[in-house]
Amino acid sequence: MNAILTTDLFKTYWFYEKEAGLSGSLKALFRGKKVFVEAIRGISLDIEVGEVVGFIGPNGAGKTTTLKILSGILYPTRGHVEVLGFSPFKRDKAFLKNITFLTGQRNRLFWDLPAEEYFEFCRVVYEIPKDVYQKNLMDLVELAAIGDILKVPQRKLSFGQRKRCELVAALLHDPKIIFLDEPTNAMDLVNARKLRGFIKEQGRGGKRTIILTSHNMSDIEDVCERIVIINRGKIVFDGGVDALHRIAGFWKRIRVAFDGPWNIDDVQKLGRIKEMNDQQLILEVEPDKTASVASHLFDAFPVKDISITGPGLEKIIESIYLQDSD
Amino acid sequence: MRQMAYRPQFFMMIVGKIVRIGLLFFFFQAVFLKVDRIGHWTYYEVLLLFATFHIVDYLMSVTFHRNLAFHLPQLIQTGELDTRMIMPLNLLFLLSFEMIDFIDLLSFLPSLGFLAYVLCRLQFAFSWIHALAYVLLLVNALLFLFGIVLIIATISFWTTQSFGLARIFDNLLKIGRYPLDIFEGVLRTVFVYFLPLVLIAQIPSQVLLATLSLKSMLYAFSITGVFLFVAISFWKMGLKNYLSAST
Repeated sequence: MNAILTTDLFKTYWFYEKEAGLSGSLKALFRGKKVFVEAIRGISLDIEVGEVVGFIGPNGAGKTTTLKILSGILYPTRGHVEVLGFSPFKRDKAFLKNITFLTGQRNRLFWDLPAEEYFEFCRVVYEIPKDVYQKNLMDLVELAAIGDILKVPQRKLSFGQRKRCELVAALLHDPKIIFLDEPTNAMDLVNARKLRGFIKEQGRGGKRTIILTSHNMSDIEDVCERIVIINRGKIVFDGGVDALHRIAGFWKRIRVAFDGPWNIDDVQKLGRIKEMNDQQLILEVEPDKTASVASHLFDAFPVKDISITGPGLEKIIESIYLQDSD
Repeated sequence: MRQMAYRPQFFMMIVGKIVRIGLLFFFFQAVFLKVDRIGHWTYYEVLLLFATFHIVDYLMSVTFHRNLAFHLPQLIQTGELDTRMIMPLNLLFLLSFEMIDFIDLLSFLPSLGFLAYVLCRLQFAFSWIHALAYVLLLVNALLFLFGIVLIIATISFWTTQSFGLARIFDNLLKIGRYPLDIFEGVLRTVFVYFLPLVLIAQIPSQVLLATLSLKSMLYAFSITGVFLFVAISFWKMGLKNYLSAST
């Protein structure tokens, strides 16, 4: 069943261009040049219920714009969009009660009040039955490890603590679709890992659909099953992490340590030699041949240790951005 | 309860309110030392109009005016409107009444006291039907002003800011505390038909004084209906043009 369906979605922004300085300001006041920017250009997506999708791309690629259209914040310039069977921009109550949108950069909590007060506000706004609210609150508070800070005013909490409180607030109403826009942005490693664990837990069981944007590849690798790469407003890749490795076509590196004599001519036939000395060798091989080459090395050479490494998701994605910019 | 947290500020606010009413009260006294009437309005009738204006102005300023005219443009500029848009609430209702300080109701007392004083001094035949019509026309005045403030606030979707326009409106609005009989020609036509400030205080006051025709009353309700329809349609158009802000 489709949770999200978009066809040929476009969004065009406009703004007035202004040159620097007072003269630029005066010029813009009377003869400002109106500039149109196509933030997204023909996005077609089909996301099933229960999928956890990483939506990635460079700055200004159109990720957040797409998420804002899907959550009913922005009105698309053209194209078809359907989320849980609703047109998001109509902002039906039933639609809004089934989604949540959490961004790492905006604060939704009451600044001077403790999180507990905001959670109660959510209970009223989302019309959550009291027993369901109590159960969800207990589960989420435990999962987010915020039990000891529930009564502390938000302004007294650290950034990471606030974000975990926000995540609890965003999930209290048990939304079917969770939009997360760079949730670990500006978080330290420990808090980011905690938050990833939390998101992963929410994605289990296939009941919730999660769309996550992030520049942090650990978020994507840890949490997402499917990756959609968007660049300059267009989807340039849509598939699993494995498929991404395959299409990137990067050669794998096999590092071999020997504990006996070996012959270079025998090794050269297996791949490209990157580095070598008497004791060790670094060999680059085609991804499909990695297993057979490693097995052959074990059988035919005095191997002491062997390790295989890939290029890493970050490098693959960077190469896709660069290819698309050419 | 933000204002109550700052006691000196709270008491100064009430004192300020009394001083403002007092100064205009003395102004009218000074004027009526020289003339018997302003247009067709006697001294106490003018004070009734003035008290009515204050009540409407006060109710508007502590509810939707501050929220729509000043807070909404900020939300649009910063993109904070996003967080309101995903709540399963009527967005317009939420944005219109998001910041209400119930302690403001206490500062309503000087205005009510002033109205009570004027009503006691006015010589007119009180009728419950006219009193009910007066209350309905006060609500009508608030809905009319809501329409205008909403139109001004909605402009922010295109311009990001509309403070200037809101300030112009605030100043224009003050004309509504005088009998609009003082204007003639084009200005009179403007304030009766195009920007009908007569709806704010003059028409409710006239109904209490039993000098308003049924036709004028129906006109008041109809024009408010038109303003509200235009304002809400414009608001919907504005929402479609919301561009949020980059994160």
